[in-house]
Amino acid sequence: MSAPAPSPAREPVLRAEGLTRRFGGLVAVGDVSFDVMPGEIFGLIGPNGAGKTTLFNLMTGLTPPSSGRLRFEGRDVTGLAPHRIATLGLGRTFQNIRLFRGLSALENVKIAQHARTRAGLLAGVLGGAREEERQVEARAWDLLDLVGLANRAGEDAGNFSYGDQRRLEIARALALDPKVLLLDEPAAGMNSAEKHGLTEFIRDVRARFDLTVMVIEHHVPLVMNLCDRIAVLNFGQLIAMGDPASVQRDPKVIEAYLGAE
Amino acid sequence: MDFLQNYGFLIVTMIQQGLLGLSLYFPLMAGQLSLASPGFYALGGYIAAIMGTNAAFAPLRESLGSWIFPLEWLVAGVASAALGLIVGVPALRLRGIYLALATIAFVEILRVVALNLSVTGGAVGLFGVPQPFGFVDRWQYVWIFGPLLVLVLLFTARLERSRVGRAFRSLREDELAADAMGVPPTRYKVMAFVIGAVLAGIVGAMSAPFLNTWNARQGTFDASIAYLAYVLIGGSRNMWGPVLGGALLAALPEVLRPLQDWRLIINGLVLVVASLYLPQGLVGLFRRRRAAPLARPATQEVAK
Amino acid sequence: MELTQFIQNVLNGVSIGSVYAIFALGYTLIFSILGIINFAHGAVFTLGAYFTYTLAVGQFGINGLLKNVDLFPNGSPLGSSVPGFVLALLIGSVLAGLVGVVIERLAFRPLRSRGADPLLALVSSLGVALVLVNLIQYLVGAEIYSFPADVYGNLKPALVLHVGEKLVVIRTVQIIIFVVSMIMLIILGYLISRTKIGKALRAVAENPGTSSLLGISVDRYVLYTFFLSGFLGGLAGTLVATSFGIAGPYFGVTYGLKGLAVIVLGGLGSIPGAVVGGIVIGLAEAFVPAEYSAYKEAVAFALLFVILLVRPQGLLGRALVQKV
Repeated sequence: MSAPAPSPAREPVLRAEGLTRRFGGLVAVGDVSFDVMPGEIFGLIGPNGAGKTTLFNLMTGLTPPSSGRLRFEGRDVTGLAPHRIATLGLGRTFQNIRLFRGLSALENVKIAQHARTRAGLLAGVLGGAREEERQVEARAWDLLDLVGLANRAGEDAGNFSYGDQRRLEIARALALDPKVLLLDEPAAGMNSAEKHGLTEFIRDVRARFDLTVMVIEHHVPLVMNLCDRIAVLNFGQLIAMGDPASVQRDPKVIEAYLGAE
Repeated sequence: MDFLQNYGFLIVTMIQQGLLGLSLYFPLMAGQLSLASPGFYALGGYIAAIMGTNAAFAPLRESLGSWIFPLEWLVAGVASAALGLIVGVPALRLRGIYLALATIAFVEILRVVALNLSVTGGAVGLFGVPQPFGFVDRWQYVWIFGPLLVLVLLFTARLERSRVGRAFRSLREDELAADAMGVPPTRYKVMAFVIGAVLAGIVGAMSAPFLNTWNARQGTFDASIAYLAYVLIGGSRNMWGPVLGGALLAALPEVLRPLQDWRLIINGLVLVVASLYLPQGLVGLFRRRRAAPLARPATQEVAK
Repeated sequence: MELTQFIQNVLNGVSIGSVYAIFALGYTLIFSILGIINFAHGAVFTLGAYFTYTLAVGQFGINGLLKNVDLFPNGSPLGSSVPGFVLALLIGSVLAGLVGVVIERLAFRPLRSRGADPLLALVSSLGVALVLVNLIQYLVGAEIYSFPADVYGNLKPALVLHVGEKLVVIRTVQIIIFVVSMIMLIILGYLISRTKIGKALRAVAENPGTSSLLGISVDRYVLYTFFLSGFLGGLAGTLVATSFGIAGPYFGVTYGLKGLAVIVLGGLGSIPGAVVGGIVIGLAEAFVPAEYSAYKEAVAFALLFVILLVRPQGLLGRALVQKV
């Protein structure tokens, strides 16, 4: 694929500075710092319960951090509401899939275009937003096309298979027009053929939409193959970070995985 | 004309209750169970009754003639919107049954206040609310409630297909996911709540002349649950549900009139049976799920 | 405020607050196990008072199907003595508990077994309330019924305390209400925390799914809960009625609503919360100055509204954590 290699000279698009989240006495994420460069595919791995999803929740505003800061394109976004962060350009999927299950696939993708459209109550009701509606509709179809679900646009999202739901969630996140896409276990529940296609798909999407991608994934071959850099969390701590080959050799990573099995 | 003489009041009441059912439907569109409508309905009615009977408004009444009535609706709508904002912004941080209970409290507080103010006529209420547009019969109110219902249904149908309507639905489906997809929850919850408040307020303002009198019994807990029953028994996921539920349940006591003393008992039984056996509401009975694949519009564009 | 006035208010508030507490516990028990509110609870309160009245007096008014009926022309065997009245009170409350069981079977279980929207239970239970209230009206009319003054025996109607120059007056009924409510609370507390039934109830409240896996029959414990809830509601209804009379079939509506305020104030589903909430609201109402007494009815709801805004989990409730 013709993905641009990350250029170390540029400013990081995301910068976590000592992000910490405690739940009662438990430190779910402890003092985690990293930079994500524009255009990178940045992997986040670690044993179950290592705090990966909590880190995504901290980054997208769903869980407020106990301490630490998150910068997005240089701007401090710590403590902003989820919809504000989403509007700035951080789109995500969910580990446990949170589609609008009772709504059609098309509508799921339309809803996520909320922040990039303007029509207010009166414009919508009095018909002053036809052009915008037409564009929203067209773009929703294009995104469904992209994930191969255009022929099922009218079906309720809840009726889709696991793999299709994951794809639809990606289409929905892309509809936000994000600069950074956070994927939480996109391969979970997919068969091996689907997993294989996923690598291509994520690279393709990155190039086409000029994205930075952060991905949580358990399937190690997929991560190693897909990611430019990888960070490893264990018990909420960042224990290693670097290119796939060096992370794979890191004794701390090996111990974390062996110790956890 | 005999038919209208006999059933005119009932027909108008059916439309009126359908509208009140709709006033609960708007917050429900955004997933919010609010039982505040009777409060706004009472407020609107008091505004109309006060503007119609209070001596302070006599000059205004004289100079405006029948135009005082649209003005009453406007004032009621604006006042309900303002009160809806004041109550809604803090209350809509609550979810589910907590919001329902907070709105019940709101209705009760308004009721006790209305019982004790002199401008609202205290416990007796206000009498002799003047009739609009030279109406001499109850059924003539069809000419104001009917168009309002048509307007509200048009409004709702258009709303459901708009960006704001989609935002409402996303909140009903999954507030957290909607938030993460860029939909500001509080803003749209409050908007849906205020739309319902304005509708209830306007219906109240139209109802004070219709009932000729207004008192604190107009906005009670019983009404809260009655409206909820309209929505749930009619069907809560389609705008025709509350209209149908409101109209039928409003007609029920009349239909049961031959049963005399048993009337209200049967009315209660109907509520029980309907909630047990009509999970999708009446509308769900004869409305099949849309299954046809959506047609893609002709235009083709590359994403972004 | 003068000291005597203060003492008087505290005593009045605690007495009525203790009834609010046992009444509200009826809501709490059901909420903690099913997560829904039984809107028929106010009607059960009313019914309990009518049951006891029927057993203890048995004379009906001039309206309704039972007009001018006198069940006990020679005086009720239960009403003519204190032990008799206590028995009537118990039987009346048990009957109210059985009504609670019927409500569960008719209005709640069918919805639960179908996994229906819990909101529907609000409507179905309100439907039941409508049926009950109108059935009462159909049978005995809308008249006010009062218990004879001597149902609690030939006690002095009031206890008068001298505090300095001033007097503090406590009606005997208020003391009885308080004592009976406290006894009920102690029995209930024992039942919930010490007995097998209580343990099972707590398990079901904690997690109905796992409990049924563990062999606890959830439906049976839900029935027990509705019985207890109805019993408490009926008892509260009778206690209030011996103090103020039965003000017609709609007499429970106000208490039904106030009970909601009580459980929210204390924390939905929290048993100590219902007790604290009841006492707090009783006291708050007692301290409303006489010149604003017309607003007394709004105090509970104003408190409810405020507490929801500043501390939605209530005074003693656990904070709600949303899972992402």
